[in-house]
Amino acid sequence: MNMLLSDDYLLQDYPENITNTIRSGHATMLRFDRKGDYLASGRVDGTVVVWDLETMGVARKLRGHNKGITFLSWSRCGRYLLSTCQGWKAILWDLQDGSRLREVRFRAPAYIAEIHPWNQFVTALFEEQPMLVDVSEPVDIKHILPSAPKRTNTNGDAALKEKQAKEDARQMTTSAIWTTTGDHILAGTNKGKLNIIDARTCEIIYTEKICSGVITTMRLTASGRDLLVNSQDRIIRTFRLPNLSVEDLDLDTLQVPLEHKFQDVVNKLSWNHVTFSATGEYVAASTYNNHELYVWERNHGSLVCMLKDPKEEQGVIEWHPSRALLAACGLETGRIYIWSVVSPQKWSALAPDFAEVEENVEYIEREDEFDIYAQEEIHRRRLDAEDEDVDVLTLDQPKAMGWENSFRMPVLFNLGESDSEDEFIAVSTGTMRRRSPGEGQGDDDGYERVPVKKVASKGGRSKKK
Amino acid sequence: MTPGSESRDATPPLKRRRTDSESPRTSKPQATSAPEDDNTRSRPTDGPDDRGRSQDAGRRSRDLSGSRGRYSSRSRSRRGDYSRRSSRSRSQSGFPSRSRSRFDSRSGSRSRSGSPRSGRDASRSRSRSSDRTRSEYSIPQASQTPLPEKTRPNYKPKLVLHGHTKPVSQVRISPNGSFIASASADGTIRIWDAATGSHMDTLVGHMAGVSCIAWSPDSNTIASGADDKAIRLWDRVTGRPKTTARKSAAGNEMAPLRGHHNYIHCLAFSPKGNILASGSYDEAVFLWDVRAGRLMRSLPAHSDPVSGIDFCPDGTLVVSCSTDGLIRVWDTSTGQCLRTLVHEDNPAVTHVCFSPNGRFVLAFNLDNCIRLWDYVAGNVKKTYQGHKNEKFAIGGCFAVLDDVPFIASASEDGGIVLWDVKNKEVLQQIPKQHKGVCFWVDVHGDIMASAGQDHSVRVYRHVRKNGGLVRDGVAENQKLSGAETGGETALPIRQEDVKMEDA
Repeated sequence: MNMLLSDDYLLQDYPENITNTIRSGHATMLRFDRKGDYLASGRVDGTVVVWDLETMGVARKLRGHNKGITFLSWSRCGRYLLSTCQGWKAILWDLQDGSRLREVRFRAPAYIAEIHPWNQFVTALFEEQPMLVDVSEPVDIKHILPSAPKRTNTNGDAALKEKQAKEDARQMTTSAIWTTTGDHILAGTNKGKLNIIDARTCEIIYTEKICSGVITTMRLTASGRDLLVNSQDRIIRTFRLPNLSVEDLDLDTLQVPLEHKFQDVVNKLSWNHVTFSATGEYVAASTYNNHELYVWERNHGSLVCMLKDPKEEQGVIEWHPSRALLAACGLETGRIYIWSVVSPQKWSALAPDFAEVEENVEYIEREDEFDIYAQEEIHRRRLDAEDEDVDVLTLDQPKAMGWENSFRMPVLFNLGESDSEDEFIAVSTGTMRRRSPGEGQGDDDGYERVPVKKVASKGGRSKKK
Repeated sequence: MTPGSESRDATPPLKRRRTDSESPRTSKPQATSAPEDDNTRSRPTDGPDDRGRSQDAGRRSRDLSGSRGRYSSRSRSRRGDYSRRSSRSRSQSGFPSRSRSRFDSRSGSRSRSGSPRSGRDASRSRSRSSDRTRSEYSIPQASQTPLPEKTRPNYKPKLVLHGHTKPVSQVRISPNGSFIASASADGTIRIWDAATGSHMDTLVGHMAGVSCIAWSPDSNTIASGADDKAIRLWDRVTGRPKTTARKSAAGNEMAPLRGHHNYIHCLAFSPKGNILASGSYDEAVFLWDVRAGRLMRSLPAHSDPVSGIDFCPDGTLVVSCSTDGLIRVWDTSTGQCLRTLVHEDNPAVTHVCFSPNGRFVLAFNLDNCIRLWDYVAGNVKKTYQGHKNEKFAIGGCFAVLDDVPFIASASEDGGIVLWDVKNKEVLQQIPKQHKGVCFWVDVHGDIMASAGQDHSVRVYRHVRKNGGLVRDGVAENQKLSGAETGGETALPIRQEDVKMEDA
């Protein structure tokens, strides 16, 4: 609703400075929910913390893992959260009451576990076969997914077969995600191969070698048509993904065309983590052994800015699903940095009879401007003028209708401060406070000012390097 | 909550405050006196309260001038006209007649607002006699002729809830429609069953009169704001303050939210229930993180007490209003002011709420008008008249019956008025329910509740005309009078379970 009043859409659509720093323990994994109201963070100690982005406060803490969280995934409705840890298990949480809905154990640490829109999730295990776990039944059904590439020449000679078998044995899936429709799984291997797996038959329908290194991260845009792949060969690639859910999918002509390659040819940086922006217009990446975040624009494939503020290397980054807001977690401190755009106060909003003008305007008074009428006359005229029809019930955007029947996370009062570490809370833009134990009220002591850097123009920012 | 000018300085404005001084117990509503009255009375409310009040009043004037200085210095460069005006008033803030003269000076600066104001001021200063307008409505509802063609609100008195020992400043029906919470100048909040009217709980803990309450969207939490400058969060189920894992002086009960420098006057929960907005006499709007109980953002909102506050249905906007005549729309996430609405005559605004779809803002003005603002276009779309509101912060709301929206408001003559949103026509008038002023009306579907100066909460129910059976005014009248008597006699509300405890 604030869109009706604010000019924020005129602002640039990628973040430019840190507006908040939040911390609860040492965060290693971040994920926004689909609507963008909450941010889930996974900590090294196995706790999952759900942040409310409106208050920048903790909305829920989920304790159940005892090893570091490797991956988080929200269900479509925002009620369930799947967390995966190094401790060989994944937990599906119900955020309504914070209970463990399901707990699934594996035979190895899991890298990734992503929820399918309907009761399933896919996981990629360390040095093991990836799995599709169906939790719609009371007993989990685990389907092993293949990692070996699809071979076209099935009738080759024995030597070749042997060689291929050896190769296949070394293929391991390192990353696996669902397509947006949930019909297929995209899996990346340690040999740089992209496998498209049919979720019903659990068979690889398409394989292509897309890069030379290990595929570490794969992301899709909200539309599901663009694929972002980070690999250890220091190149970030975007691909156009064909629609895999069409009826007459022709496997022979299926192609996943490469769109862009993003890399830093000068510094030969490798990338910790990558993400698409809300619309897919930008690609952001955190750098290995370096403090910057890189943001590229996808139309031209050009670098638009480098975000550098915190004095530490950043690991997982996440772009907000609708706003120009980027969350990144620091590798050393485990703090979560929120990068965003600061919209300037419009001064004319404070006094409606003032307008901001570029240059002097000569005021020409109306003919009757200083005429004196009886108060009653003015009042009556005003009332007569109110003949417009008003509609106080119908919502402007029918899309927004869903807001009251969708899941709403209960507001908890008993979160407590059981963490041993201090929690930093942002009080307002650029202002933070260290929360002392037992302190309940907003006292002014303990504020820590974080200077908000004024960023000049986009050009100046990106040219600096 | 205080509308009027002179009441703002001498006796701090509030309805309840005013009535404190006029010996509340002499005019007691008939069925009230319940055993626990003595209990309440035995609390040292009156004496110390009075002292506190006068101190507070002094402090308040300081606070006001202080914060106004800060405020206007910030915005002076752009505000021109306003800052001139407020700087003039600032110089007078030390004097008892401060706000009055301020008001006058303001009206003087506007060429159009001429003579009628002085007349109103005069009436305001003598309005202590509560029965002055009583004779105007000697004919009860019978005079109304119901229009059969479309759904018309037809609320009939059903219950009278007694228990409060001082005027009731606000009454709110829970979002699920099953509970009624009332806040009173006696420092307590009472929860009633909306269907039966039975008293469910009394929330005791505030050290001074409570002026506002708000229900969380899940109907399990009540926030209350009082003259002790604290906001408390209560658990509706247990009737105790909310509990936290954090240890405080009172065990693990949540400490009240403190931070405002003056009386809390209005509260609103965000639609998600995670943010609480409060408006205070210190002229600021605070946004609180409900979960952690901490202050999230403070907005230097107004140059007079903040009298009303509301969240829009998607939670992205907050609207606040003040007796300085301004209505401001804020962005919840950035804390920036997005729009300011001022009427040409600059009447004090005492309550404000968003329309159900969030596209309009309904403002209750102290010139006997309720105005519907289009906050995007910045103009008044409708003006509703027919009630009386010149002095107190009375409240009302939007309501919907069979998908037909209407507006309900309390009136200072003790009645309730309902309007059609589109043609501004008075749909129903329920005169003279409360002795003295009716402060607040809240509607939830078929249930309507009102709070009054006579210490009572009244509940009304929409009586549907079944088919075309009731055709003429006669049948209507009979039904009506039956309901009326039923309403008066019903309700020997039980009071046994009222306990007084210090939290």
